[in-house]
Amino acid sequence: MGEYQSDRLDGVFNALCDPTRRAILARLTDADARVTDIAGDFPISLNSISKHIRMLERAGLLRRSIVGRDHVLTLNAEPLAEAQLWIEKYRRFWEGRLAALDAFVTNKKRNRK
Amino acid sequence: MNAAVPLSPAAVVVRRTIAAPAEDIFDAWLDPQALAEWMRPGSVRSTVARVEARVGGSYEIIMQIESGPVVHRGVYRIVDRPRRLSFTWKTEFTENQETLVTVDFIRQGLRTEVIVTHEQLPESAMDSHRNGWTSGLQHLDEACQKGLIG
Repeated sequence: MGEYQSDRLDGVFNALCDPTRRAILARLTDADARVTDIAGDFPISLNSISKHIRMLERAGLLRRSIVGRDHVLTLNAEPLAEAQLWIEKYRRFWEGRLAALDAFVTNKKRNRK
Repeated sequence: MNAAVPLSPAAVVVRRTIAAPAEDIFDAWLDPQALAEWMRPGSVRSTVARVEARVGGSYEIIMQIESGPVVHRGVYRIVDRPRRLSFTWKTEFTENQETLVTVDFIRQGLRTEVIVTHEQLPESAMDSHRNGWTSGLQHLDEACQKGLIG
C-alpha cells in the first residue's frame, strides 16, 4: 500500500475513532441532512458539531453543499472503501483457504467412494 | 438518539457451505497432512504443518514462498469436535501480533456451513505509533463498514 493511501487511511480512521462522528455518519447513511438538523440530534453545542463535521469533511467522508441558507451534508463512502482495503487482505486469505478446504474435503470424499 | 454505533473489535467473517460432514471438515483443520494440502495459497510452493491437537497445544504452519518461509504459529483455545475450533494466529501478515481465529461448523443436512471469524486484527497495521486513534479503530468492525459502505 502506497504512502499516499496510508496517509488518507489515517485521516479516515482518525475521523472514525469518535462516537459522535460515527453517529453523524450513521445518520447520513439514511438520508442527507442539514447541519442544523444534525446539531439538533446531539446534546452538544452547534460549535462542537461543526468541528466534528469539519473533521469528517477533511477526511473526505462527507460533502457539504450550500442550498440557499442551508448547509446540506451528504455521506461520501468512497474513503471507507479504501479503509476496507487493509481488512480485505484477511478476507481474501480466508476465502481462498475455505475454497481450497472445500476442494480438499469433497475430493477426498469422492476418492473414498 | 443513541450517539454510539454499536461496534466490536476489528474482525473478518468468511462463510462457505461445503458438501461434506462436519467431522470430515473439522478434522482437515487438525490433520498436518490435510493442512499441507489446503493451507497453500497460490503463491506458496509447499506447506508443512505441525499440530498438537488439544486445548493449550500449539501448531505451526510453514508456507514456502519464493522469498522464503512464512511461519504461522498459535495455540488452540477451543477444540470442540465437530462444532468449534479456536486458535491464536500470528504471522508476519498480522504484523507478528497475536490474533484470534474461530471456526464454527454448522450442520445443514448433508452439508456443513463453515464460518471463519478472524478477530483482533492488527489495526495498527497502518501506523503503530499514533495511539490516539488506534483505540477507536479497534472498534471499527465489519458491520459498521457494511452499514456505511452498503
